[in-house]
Amino acid sequence: MNVAALIQIFTFAWQGFWRNIWLSIVTITIIALALFSVNFLIILNVVTATAIDVIKNKVDVSLYFRPEITETQVLEAQTFLSALAQIETTTYISQQDALQAFRQRHQQDQTIIASLDELGDNPLGATLIVKAKQIEDYPEIISVVTNSKYNDLILDKNFADNQVYIEKIKNVSDNVNKIGFAAAGIFILIAGLIVFNTIRVAIYTHREEIGIMKLVGATNWFIRSPFIVESFFYAILGTVLAVAVVFPALNVVQPYIDAFFLAEGFSLRDYFMSHFLAIFGIELLITILLNVSSSSIAIRRYLRV
Amino acid sequence: MIILKSVSKIYPGNSVALKGINVHIKPKEFVSIVGRSGTGKTTLVRILTAEEPPTQGTVIIGGWDITHIKRSEVPILRRQIGVVFQDFKLLEKKTFFENIAFALQACGTSWRRAREIIPQVLKIVGLSGKEHRYPVQLSGGEQQRVAIARALVHRPKILLADEPTGNLDSINTQEIVDLLLKINEFGTTVLLVSHDREVVNYVNKRVITLDNGQIISDQKHGKYLL
Repeated sequence: MNVAALIQIFTFAWQGFWRNIWLSIVTITIIALALFSVNFLIILNVVTATAIDVIKNKVDVSLYFRPEITETQVLEAQTFLSALAQIETTTYISQQDALQAFRQRHQQDQTIIASLDELGDNPLGATLIVKAKQIEDYPEIISVVTNSKYNDLILDKNFADNQVYIEKIKNVSDNVNKIGFAAAGIFILIAGLIVFNTIRVAIYTHREEIGIMKLVGATNWFIRSPFIVESFFYAILGTVLAVAVVFPALNVVQPYIDAFFLAEGFSLRDYFMSHFLAIFGIELLITILLNVSSSSIAIRRYLRV
Repeated sequence: MIILKSVSKIYPGNSVALKGINVHIKPKEFVSIVGRSGTGKTTLVRILTAEEPPTQGTVIIGGWDITHIKRSEVPILRRQIGVVFQDFKLLEKKTFFENIAFALQACGTSWRRAREIIPQVLKIVGLSGKEHRYPVQLSGGEQQRVAIARALVHRPKILLADEPTGNLDSINTQEIVDLLLKINEFGTTVLLVSHDREVVNYVNKRVITLDNGQIISDQKHGKYLL
């Protein structure tokens, strides 16, 4: 392979691209759409994974002790729990602190405040807030507590609600993923077929040249290469267009992400920038592979003579 | 130069195109292969250019047995055989110069080298000064000269001309035949496939006559028999 042949291959490829410019534009657009749907899937995955992480970090179990249980008994239970391998932290909230926090939460509700005043005694028990190392550990921790001698001291545990939220998020994200995968799969299939068709049209346009090339002793590799290079052009331009569409789309979505994550401050744009090569590099490689194989199949029939 | 040993070609449906062909063509020979339409002349050309293999027999070109030639070796063979067709096979949107350059570039020759070679071949075919004309601007005879120039750019040892005068009037026909004779004088083996009696008789060289896929005559200074 010499430089002259390489220049010739690129020239033929460029001619093929320009002579069917509208077909080229359609092909590039479909590739970009397919990649956009893949990136949409990535966005969904990243957002749901981050949301689950945020929620997981917020998940803890509150063990509400009976009001008559003494501080010593609660602290004994705390020591017992802290010894468990699955426990990250335990926080003790005394009866007085619990009452104070309760009053603060309901300071606008005069009925509740009046009721508390009428009762005189503190109706609230102490609370132990337990945080596990892994969210999967909570059922086991709850089981240990339930089977321990401290279970009778506890009035209520609040783990079930958190479990429901996490399951709901997981279900929604699983369903969105399934739909996203199907949509991306369909787009990728369509993109493959469009590239196949575009290359076939390009070959048809060049059929005379191909015949003459074969007649004068051009190798199959030389004849095939311009079409492969042309499909490279489609892959590269399709990916560039996808990048050009994805980033403005991220800017549109970001305010909603900010509203959802509030203080956690998750930036999709930063995520895509820091994973730029991994995301778009792999997408480009896969698109090139798909295009090259699809155009190789398209041209095979014309190289038999 | 070209040896065909018991070559037969049978197409599906038991259609016999060639049967037991034995030919030995020496280097620098000028051979006319004649016969009516459908007698196997074009099949013979297709076997020699490795467009299709023989069903039986052996084909040797320049000492190279191409009977079972590999697909990857076909381009190497075709660079050693120049081929000219009745319909010229020129690209209408390219000038004569570009048509010839295209053949060179398709085989990896640089543009600079092409600019050195093309004027030489255009001179041989008598088209110097017309290299920037398009095929539609010139006569059939001139277009066939360009096709011949294109076939010669790789300096082939063999020139295969398949009915090269089929689309030409008598004046252009004679010019093309004279050109083929001139190329033969330069040392290129020429195989002229034709069913034109006048052309074959004018050439007055070796004539191989085919009928029903078989050689019925092989004369050193032959005439058109059929």
